[in-house]
Amino acid sequence: MRSEIDYQIPRSALSWVLLAVMLVVAPQALRMPLWISAIAVACIVWRWLIYAGRLGYPGRSLRIAIVIFTLLVSVSQMRNLGIGLDSAASLLTLGFVFKLIEMRHKRDIYVVISLCFVMLMVAFLYSQSAVSSAYIALSVLVTTTAMVALNRSTLLDNHSGTFSLSLKMGLQALPLAVVLFLVFPRIAPLWAVPVQNNGAGTGVTDEMSPGDIAQLGRSSELAFRVQFENSPPPLHENLYWRGLVLDDFDGVTWRRTRRGSSYAQAASLNDFQWSWEDRVRLSDDVIDYNVIMEPTQQPWLYGLHLADPMNRELFQSRNFEIFNNGLITKRMSYDLRSYRGSRTDLLLLDSVRRRSLELPTGGNSQSRALAQRLRADTDSDLDYIYAVLARFQQNEYFYTLNPPLLGDNRVDDFLFNTMAGFCEHYASSFAFLMRAAGIPARVVVGYQGAEYNRYEDYMMVYQYNAHAWNEVWLEGRGWVRFDPTAAVSPERIEQGVEAALADDPAFLEQSLFSRSRLGAMDWINTLRLRLDAIEYEWNRRVVNYDEEVQFELFERLLGEVTEEKVVLLFASLAVIMVAGIAVAIIWTEPRTRRTPVDRLYLQLGRELDKIGLGRQRGEAPNDYCRRVCEARPDLAPLVQEITELYLELNYRHADLQASRQRQLQSRLRSVLRQLRFRLMPVLKSQG
Amino acid sequence: MFSLNLDKQSDTRSELVENKYSEQVQAAVTEISQALLGKEHQIRLALCCLFSGGHLLVEDLPGMGKTTLSYALARALGLDYNRVQFTSDLLPADILGISIFDQNTSQFSFHPGPIFNQVVLADEINRSTPKTQSALLEAMEERQVTVEGETRKLPEPFFVIATQNPVNLAGTYPLPESQLDRFLMRLRLGYPDQRAERELLEMDTEWDKVENVKQCLQVEDVTEFRRQSATITASGSLLDYVQRLIAFTRGKDEFHFGLSPRGSLALMRAAKTWALMCGRNHVIPEDVQTILPAVVEHRLRAVSDEDGHTGASLVQRMLSEVDILE
Repeated sequence: MRSEIDYQIPRSALSWVLLAVMLVVAPQALRMPLWISAIAVACIVWRWLIYAGRLGYPGRSLRIAIVIFTLLVSVSQMRNLGIGLDSAASLLTLGFVFKLIEMRHKRDIYVVISLCFVMLMVAFLYSQSAVSSAYIALSVLVTTTAMVALNRSTLLDNHSGTFSLSLKMGLQALPLAVVLFLVFPRIAPLWAVPVQNNGAGTGVTDEMSPGDIAQLGRSSELAFRVQFENSPPPLHENLYWRGLVLDDFDGVTWRRTRRGSSYAQAASLNDFQWSWEDRVRLSDDVIDYNVIMEPTQQPWLYGLHLADPMNRELFQSRNFEIFNNGLITKRMSYDLRSYRGSRTDLLLLDSVRRRSLELPTGGNSQSRALAQRLRADTDSDLDYIYAVLARFQQNEYFYTLNPPLLGDNRVDDFLFNTMAGFCEHYASSFAFLMRAAGIPARVVVGYQGAEYNRYEDYMMVYQYNAHAWNEVWLEGRGWVRFDPTAAVSPERIEQGVEAALADDPAFLEQSLFSRSRLGAMDWINTLRLRLDAIEYEWNRRVVNYDEEVQFELFERLLGEVTEEKVVLLFASLAVIMVAGIAVAIIWTEPRTRRTPVDRLYLQLGRELDKIGLGRQRGEAPNDYCRRVCEARPDLAPLVQEITELYLELNYRHADLQASRQRQLQSRLRSVLRQLRFRLMPVLKSQG
Repeated sequence: MFSLNLDKQSDTRSELVENKYSEQVQAAVTEISQALLGKEHQIRLALCCLFSGGHLLVEDLPGMGKTTLSYALARALGLDYNRVQFTSDLLPADILGISIFDQNTSQFSFHPGPIFNQVVLADEINRSTPKTQSALLEAMEERQVTVEGETRKLPEPFFVIATQNPVNLAGTYPLPESQLDRFLMRLRLGYPDQRAERELLEMDTEWDKVENVKQCLQVEDVTEFRRQSATITASGSLLDYVQRLIAFTRGKDEFHFGLSPRGSLALMRAAKTWALMCGRNHVIPEDVQTILPAVVEHRLRAVSDEDGHTGASLVQRMLSEVDILE
């Protein structure tokens, strides 16, 4: 057994460390399996019981068992979740909480505190929102407090004092952090953290079968935020956020026709045949806006028709969808310019026409017959479209999130039997009827509507805004948007899905505190909008502060950005900071007025410091003299005389005669000179 | 922690000047050392306390020689000596004295209590109730007692040596700060070193040794010391140093409260006496540093303190952080 006395962590330091650990593990606990959280709690309690003397540190065998357990867990996690952030984070958390129970020495606490910071960085990988950033800032503060508490004299034992010290330190670091944030070079990441997508299925997908969008209608998650620049936002009924164009129907599911295996390849495909300008007749109704999109793990983006991306890394597909170069794994901001009311594809390629008329060979005979009959009764394609819409409007069709199940002939079943569905049912059957009548038609998925946040003047689009509508090609007009849902439930389009589905129990059933349920309470709604406004500003100004924005800032500061100027900026900032600190130190240092005698005596200390015998703080003259004489007997006569003179001058008399003082002082000076002479390195080596 | 001796030892001090005073002190120290082995520095401090006209609190575990020190001190200086064992049922009258009706004279006659002695050993002062403690402490401060309306002067010199066990032992009433402040010094004797311990073990009994302590100073010498110490020079530089020391204790986070003016006066008085005992007529920083722990420790208390024993580490901070010149 070791006989050494264990280092006892001060109570305050331990409580701060444990509090920091709790704060740090909490965000991980939301993502990790429950039993890891249970282990974390157990370890924290265990460590406290060790402090209270109720439990001992784990023995050697137990520690080996824990290591083996952790390794097994990490292997199984990697098999279940793959090698990625989730498995690594849970392994880190396990190791971190196990370290707690063997936190015995001061150095162990430092390890734990450093790990706290690492864990906080991991938390940043998951979320950079304003709320989580504030939480992490708080955790950093608490962790710093733990460090302060650990190093603070045990004579001082008040928590508020410790915390305010760390708060002070945090505030002192803030200006530096701001400067570094603004000017520190943004280096593109050398590697990307593979953030695993656990909540798969958020957002619109590139397939649509009945029930898909209804599923989204139950979610109140944010899809994206939009801010219109220098123009008022369009009316609610015009807010069709166009996502993907689905033109391939197999009787059940609408799909996007993929050319090539990946979206990136689609970019290079040049089957436009005509240039962009030839296919499009642009209108003058131009509207600019910025979209900040939540991560979707998909490559496509949303915009109002006809959207022209302003960012370089975005591109348009041949159906004027917008794609990002790569999956959107983190929040993304992009600028769009929309030419509203533009006409596209006034001339339709044969291949496209063929694709837009394709229907499965069999099935849904009732609908086909209906299409033939209606088309025969009407004079033009447009009249036919209106006839179909009128049919939706005049018959007992219902708009609901909970449609009854459909049989094999889905379109027939919906149109003639159940007559109740969500937007995808209407869009799907509408497109079917169009194609059956020989009119090119396709389904578009995206979002419709938005909520306006008046505090920061932007709009919020939620998952429940997900929508599907149609585009029909008409001679002379190109692709025209028709929304059969509007015929069934006009309020869905004019006022939003909340109004249309307010009575539907399935609407937003996944969110406990959904906005429509709370919407009744005015102040909560205000609070929600305010919070979202803060979040939005945070995203716009902090999270999206990248190389480009930084460059713009430099440009504004420096005019034309050259390497020299940037270096100069850095250098001057560094000089300003160092100078500021120096001035602060000089300012706070109490100015002392030393007597000539004191100055001479201090000089003795400085001279002797060169041979490692400097006077310590608080060391009295005789004590010092004795120490020097013991170390350097050869200097003893000189040092003794100086000490004697100093005592005579300073202490022996209440007041010394001026003449005597001058005499002694000059003697002191001369002895000091002798000493300095003796200490000169050249003479020493000769002697 | 209790018996660790954190005090500066004076063995290595050479700033001793041979003269009447230092020789007298040396003689007394030698004499008392026969009874209390290896504790020269503490004996010197106790003498300093006595010569400064202050009272002494000796705090240590039982059996460390507290009683021996006080008895030997009284013998060497030729002073009356009495010992009061403080218990929880001791009453003020047991210390101060009581008037008893005399049948013969048909009058009340005052029977002075043990406090009417030049050296009073108040043993285990923290075992008695606060009421009794304050009776003693009042006498210490006023140097007179008032019993039944009549004020009686206490003998000169009057010197109380109180001993106490560390307060965290059971059944004690710790002295409050206001009363601790009345003691000029608080000493801890500490364990004897190896050599002294060996010598101690070789002796038959300890008490015999105390009987051997001979008187080597007169009462007049004690008065003379007290009178002379007032004439010792304290230069401006030294007073600056003392002021810096005092200022250091005030307005710092660690210190629960700073030194009181009474504390700083005590510091100055003891430093002067110490300088006199070393045969000098002026105070040097070493004097202040030597007596500082004994004079100041019991008056200081850290913020986190629960049992009143953080003074020592605070004094170490004062010594190492306050420079003798600015």
